[in-house]
Amino acid sequence: MKALIIGYGSPIRGDDAIGPLVADRLEREGVPAGITVISRHILTAELVADLADQDRVIFLDAAIDAEPGEVRCQRLAPDAHAVSTMAHFLDPRELLAWCETLYGQAPESYLISAGGASFDYASYCLTPIAEVAVEIMLARVRQLIDGGTAPTPGSNEHLLDLDQTVMRTARLTSP
Amino acid sequence: MSRTVTIEPVTRIEGHARITLQLGGGGEVEDARFHLTQFRGFEKFCEGRPYREMPALTARTCGICPVSHIIASNKACDHLLSVSIPPTGEKLRRIMNLAQMVQSHALSFFHLSSPDLLLGWDSDPVSRNIFGVMRQYPDLAKDGIRLRQIGQSIIETLGGKKIHPTWVVPGGVADPLTPEKREAMLRQLPEGLEIARRTYDFFKTLVPKFKDEASHFGTLPTMFLSLVTPQGNLEHYDGLLRIKDAQGRIVEDMVPPEDYERIIGEAVEDFSYMKFPYYKPQGYPKGIYRVGPLARLNNAQSCGTPYADVALAEFHMLQESGPIASSFHYHYARLVEIIYALEMMERLLKDPAILDHRVRARARSNRDEGIGVSEAPRGTLIHHYRIDDDGLITWVNLVIATGHNNLAMNQAIRQVADAYVDGNQLQEGMLNRVEAVIRCFDPCLSCASHAFGQMPLRIELKDAAGQVVDTLSRG
Repeated sequence: MKALIIGYGSPIRGDDAIGPLVADRLEREGVPAGITVISRHILTAELVADLADQDRVIFLDAAIDAEPGEVRCQRLAPDAHAVSTMAHFLDPRELLAWCETLYGQAPESYLISAGGASFDYASYCLTPIAEVAVEIMLARVRQLIDGGTAPTPGSNEHLLDLDQTVMRTARLTSP
Repeated sequence: MSRTVTIEPVTRIEGHARITLQLGGGGEVEDARFHLTQFRGFEKFCEGRPYREMPALTARTCGICPVSHIIASNKACDHLLSVSIPPTGEKLRRIMNLAQMVQSHALSFFHLSSPDLLLGWDSDPVSRNIFGVMRQYPDLAKDGIRLRQIGQSIIETLGGKKIHPTWVVPGGVADPLTPEKREAMLRQLPEGLEIARRTYDFFKTLVPKFKDEASHFGTLPTMFLSLVTPQGNLEHYDGLLRIKDAQGRIVEDMVPPEDYERIIGEAVEDFSYMKFPYYKPQGYPKGIYRVGPLARLNNAQSCGTPYADVALAEFHMLQESGPIASSFHYHYARLVEIIYALEMMERLLKDPAILDHRVRARARSNRDEGIGVSEAPRGTLIHHYRIDDDGLITWVNLVIATGHNNLAMNQAIRQVADAYVDGNQLQEGMLNRVEAVIRCFDPCLSCASHAFGQMPLRIELKDAAGQVVDTLSRG
């Protein structure tokens, strides 16, 4: 399988760095042949050319509409109306719509995201609850690239809710 | 009865802005203003930080052209160190700056402005966007993406895949270039040049159709400011400041960048957070000038590369004589500069000395004040720092490329509004032309929040009592 994993977010805005940090971990720990991992501050137009010939694309991002530590895995569909309000970056669904419009097809795509607890200044440093979410995100990415089960289109799979994450955080941080 | 038309936000530009048109009783435009509505404060919150942090801090000023700030900031730091950086270090920085030029100009032309240029200012706003372009001109859209990909790939090859590369450092660059990386970059350039030349040739065929817009889109008798080489040729990284007036006379030449304060003053107005730089000897606001691709080509005698020089000669023929006055031709100038950047990168990479291992001069701070000037895609960028004995920043002044164009952008929207806006009956196409003249300048208003595409947009006509008498909405 040819797949592209894109971790994106600002590395200096607290838990927004979770996408790039998960991508960095994957790169350090190694991925199967055919899998490419990249980090980006934002999703920009030229990425559409990298998407075009992939079998599967996995976006890794922080979420502001989820409880801190809550990890979700969503199947994404191209959506030309998911236009970001910003000129220089794109919503992943918009990027997929660019791909579909220009190249006639869009790869099977997923967004794995985690709710952040803080988006204040911090350089590549996550809150404890987001640190736990990193592990969950990594495990889900591994499942997806190893051919494991994938969420169906339109579904929104919650991998871990807030209570479970808090319990895991407590276990990890207790002396 | 006077009325105010507000266009907010201005779409397909980098940043958040508002345009207001003050209409007289007969619906005629009495005044037009471009408002930058967000405040950043980089100059203040950098105070107290070690000067070596400045390139990384100021790179965050812009999410789309951080390389420009990295270059200007490191040049200011070079000045603080009082060092001359090794020639290979300088050439490598030049390549990164040119790669930034390619990807930024490609975004402006293909992504932000092509919907107007290819589909028409009065076309259906529902499809007057990048998807409309992709459907009608898929090959051109792919070309734009490929050019951005090439620019970005060269930046990554040099700077590494980190989100904010720290490869450019005070005194030069951190690591020399490897033969493998050189080959990887060189392989992409012929395709990039082919795309750039193809797009330029295509755009030339469109230009005659835009005669009316070229006459009214900021056709202003302003001066032009840019860096030039000591020979008076096109320059983006180093060089000396030149100012030409509207008639083509050189009014300032070979001004060392460190002396910028002698020729550039900065004014403020209460309706915008953007400063209003002006040519000091003529005072404010008479000392209006423009920067960026149009100014650079107006000021340059030659580009110094084969295809770009042919295009430069054709650029000068857009007008019978004198510097090209229409801001509409920023688009043309951008395409010429993309060609130049690709040719020049190839020349620099083919220089055998580019693999030299001496790429960085090492020193501690040896001055209290440092000034770095380079040409960003949108124009002349100035970083000016003062430090204390511990190397901590005590004062910062940033003169951003877009700011230099502030006076001109305000006059340009007035000119377009005069030509196209009928205050008695607003139409979407009128509104779009007022926005489009701003897009000619490709302003970058901040890195934090950039407006795009078909954002919700509402225009209200209010009477003197503040009552809404007409509205126009989209999105």
